[in-house]
Amino acid sequence: MNEDSFFSNDWMETQRKYWESWIAMNRKAMGLEGGSQTAPWESALDHWWTAISPAAPAGSKQFMERMMDQGKAFFKMAETFLPTAGGGDGWSAFSKALEDMQKGFTGGLTGSGDGQNAMHRMLAFWELPLDNWQRMTSSLSPMFPGDLLRNMPHDGMQEHVDRLLSAPGLGYTREEQGAYQDLIRRSMEYQKALREYSAFYSQLGVKAVERMRAYMQDLITSGKTIDSARAIYDDWVSCCEAVYAEEVGTKTYADLHGKLINSQMALKQRMSEMVDGQLGALNMPTRSEIRTLQDRLQETRRENKKLNHSLKVLEAKVEALISGKPLPEGARVKTHGVPRAALIAGPAEGKGAAPKKPAAKPTTK
Amino acid sequence: MIPIDIRPDKLTQEMLDYTRKLGKGMENLLNAEKIDTGVSPKQAVYTEDKLVLYRYDTPAGVTPRPVPVLVVYALVNRPYMTDIQEDRSTIKGLLATGQDVYLIDWGYPDGADRCLTLDDYLNGYIDRCVDYICEAHGLEQINILGICQGGVFSLMYTSMHQDKVKNLVTMVTPVDFQTPGNLLSSWVQAMDIDLAVDTMGNVPGELLNWTFLSLKPFALAGQKYVNMVDVLEDADKVKNFLRMEKWIFDSPDQAGETFRQFAKDFYQKNGLINGGVVIGEHTIDLKNLTCPLLNVYALQDHLVPPAASQAMKALVGSTDYTENPFPGGHIGIYVSGKAQKEVTPAIGKWLNDRS
Repeated sequence: MNEDSFFSNDWMETQRKYWESWIAMNRKAMGLEGGSQTAPWESALDHWWTAISPAAPAGSKQFMERMMDQGKAFFKMAETFLPTAGGGDGWSAFSKALEDMQKGFTGGLTGSGDGQNAMHRMLAFWELPLDNWQRMTSSLSPMFPGDLLRNMPHDGMQEHVDRLLSAPGLGYTREEQGAYQDLIRRSMEYQKALREYSAFYSQLGVKAVERMRAYMQDLITSGKTIDSARAIYDDWVSCCEAVYAEEVGTKTYADLHGKLINSQMALKQRMSEMVDGQLGALNMPTRSEIRTLQDRLQETRRENKKLNHSLKVLEAKVEALISGKPLPEGARVKTHGVPRAALIAGPAEGKGAAPKKPAAKPTTK
Repeated sequence: MIPIDIRPDKLTQEMLDYTRKLGKGMENLLNAEKIDTGVSPKQAVYTEDKLVLYRYDTPAGVTPRPVPVLVVYALVNRPYMTDIQEDRSTIKGLLATGQDVYLIDWGYPDGADRCLTLDDYLNGYIDRCVDYICEAHGLEQINILGICQGGVFSLMYTSMHQDKVKNLVTMVTPVDFQTPGNLLSSWVQAMDIDLAVDTMGNVPGELLNWTFLSLKPFALAGQKYVNMVDVLEDADKVKNFLRMEKWIFDSPDQAGETFRQFAKDFYQKNGLINGGVVIGEHTIDLKNLTCPLLNVYALQDHLVPPAASQAMKALVGSTDYTENPFPGGHIGIYVSGKAQKEVTPAIGKWLNDRS
C-alpha cells in the first residue's frame, strides 16, 4: 500500500465514517432526535483517536499524540463551560464550573461522575510544568523511570524514618550504615522539596481560576462573548501564563526552585558516591578517579597548547633573526602557518561537527 | 448573561475541523523529508578538539569586503539557528551585504570536555580562531559578531584582545544579569551551583531545556502544539515548524567548569556590572573595549530583557556605540521575516561603513 492511496482513501474514509456516526450521536445529544442530554465532547476526541490511531504510521504517532493531548485540553475547557453542562440556568452552571476548578486545585473536589472526571483531567493542564520536570529527571536518571519519589507516601513514614536515621551506626559496617542513612535522609529531603514545589503549583492554579473569573467579568462588562473552544483555551492559557509569570518571579518561588534542584543534586551525589564505592570494591575505575584523570589531562593539554604557541613564536623570531630582519618588539607572528597544508589532520570529533568531505581540508590544532 | 456562547453544533464542527487538520497533517508529517538545517554552503577551514571553524561561500555576484566577520554563537543550542532555512538566514543576509562570514561551531561537549573553562573558550578557542582568520587574510584585526552568550564571550574577548578586533556587533547579549523580571537570574540565586556541577560533571542539555520551557510552560509545552495544528495542512510550514522544534531541543551539554563560572559570575554575582570576573590572567573591564560597537537587542525578549543589553552602553570604553532595538523576540530576531529585511541589512551596513 503506498502512502498516497492510504491517505486519499483508507484514512480519509475511516475519518469520514467516524464523524458521520459522531454527528448523528450529537444530534441526539442536542435533543433533535431525543435521547441522552449528555455531551461527552472531550471523550469523543479520545474515541476518534482510539479508532484512528492504529492506522497511523508509528513514526508520526508520538508527535500526533502530543497535538491530540492539547486538542483534548481545549475541548475539555469547552466541555466544562458549555452552558448546558451543569444543568440549570447558564450563570449558575458557569459559576459552578469556576468553583469546581478552584476546588480541584485545593483538593476539595470529590465525586466520580463524568463531570468530575472531566474537571480532573482539565486541571491536569497545570501538570505541564511538573510533567516537564519529571521528563527531565527521568532523562538524568536512566535507572529510575520518571521521578521515582514523587508519589512515595511521606507523612506516615516520616516519624519512623526520623527515628531510624537517628540511630547511630555500629561496629564493622558503621560507615556503610551511615552512608545508607544519609541516602535515605537525602531522599526524604528531596521528596519534601518536590511536595512543596507541587503545592506551590496548586496555589498558582487557584489564582489562575481567579484571573479567569475576572477576565470573564470584563467580557460581560464589555458585552463580548467567547464562541469557540479554541478561544476559551487560549484565554485560559493567557490567564495561566500571566499568573505564572507573576508568581515564579518571587523570592518564594526562587527558594522552592533552588531547594528542589539542590536536594535532587544532593541525593544524586550520594548515589554516585555509593556506586563509586561498589565499583572500587570490584577493582573497576570509579567516577572520582576518571575525573581526576580528566582534570590532569586537561591541564596537560592546556600547557601543551601554550607551549606549542610559544614555540611557533620563537621559531618565527629565530627565522627573522637568521634572515637579518629581526621582528619589532610586540609584533604578531603567524602561529597557524596558514595556508600551509602540512598541519592538516583528520576530521573533528563530535556528532555532526564536521562535514564528511570538506572541500578543502581544515587546519587542525 | 454569561460570556460564553459555545453551541454544541459549533463545537462539533470545531472538533471536526481539528481532526481533519490532524489527518491531513499526518500526511504532511510523513512526507516531510529529513530536516535539514544550515542551508548556506560553507567550508570547514580550521578544527580543534570538537570546535569547527566554518567559512561561508561568497554568493555569486557579491564581492566580499576586506575585513571578515567571525560569528561567535552561544554554547547553549546550536549555531544553525543563524542559517536555519533558505528564506530565514542571518548568515545569508550578512553574505548579501558583502560580509566574508566565519562561524564557530562548538560541537557537543562530552565528559572529556568537563574541565574546559571560560579561559579555554575565550583565550584558547576563540583567540586561535581569530588568529587563524587574521593570518588567512593577512590582517591584524577582524570584525566579531557575538550572539547571546556568545555576545558575552565576544565582549570579554574584545576587552582582553582589543588589538585584534576592528568592530564588534552583539546580538541579544545580556550585560546586566539581574534586571527586574529576569526569571532565569531569579531562579539561579538559590541554586547551589557548585553542588550541581560537582554532582553532574557536565550540565545536561535536558536540564537547560527544562529551564527554558519553564519560562512559559503552558505556551511552550502546550499551546504551541495546538497552534501547530493550524499549519499542519501546509507542508512547508510543517517543515519549518519541525526545523524549529529540532533546534529548540538540540541542546548540547555544557562543559561543567564553564557552566560553573558563567552561572556564578554572571547570574549570581552579576560580574560585568559589579566587577570581579577573572578569565585566566585577565580581570575583565569592559572599559578596555574601545572599538566601534553595535548592540542589537529584541524588545520582546523573554530571555534577555532589553534593559539587560542596554546596560552595555555605560560600561564599555567605546565612543562609537550604536543601539539597534528590534521589535521582536529572542528567536524572532534571527528567523522572522521582518528581521531578514531590517536586522541583517542594518548590521551589514554598519560594518561596511566601518571596514
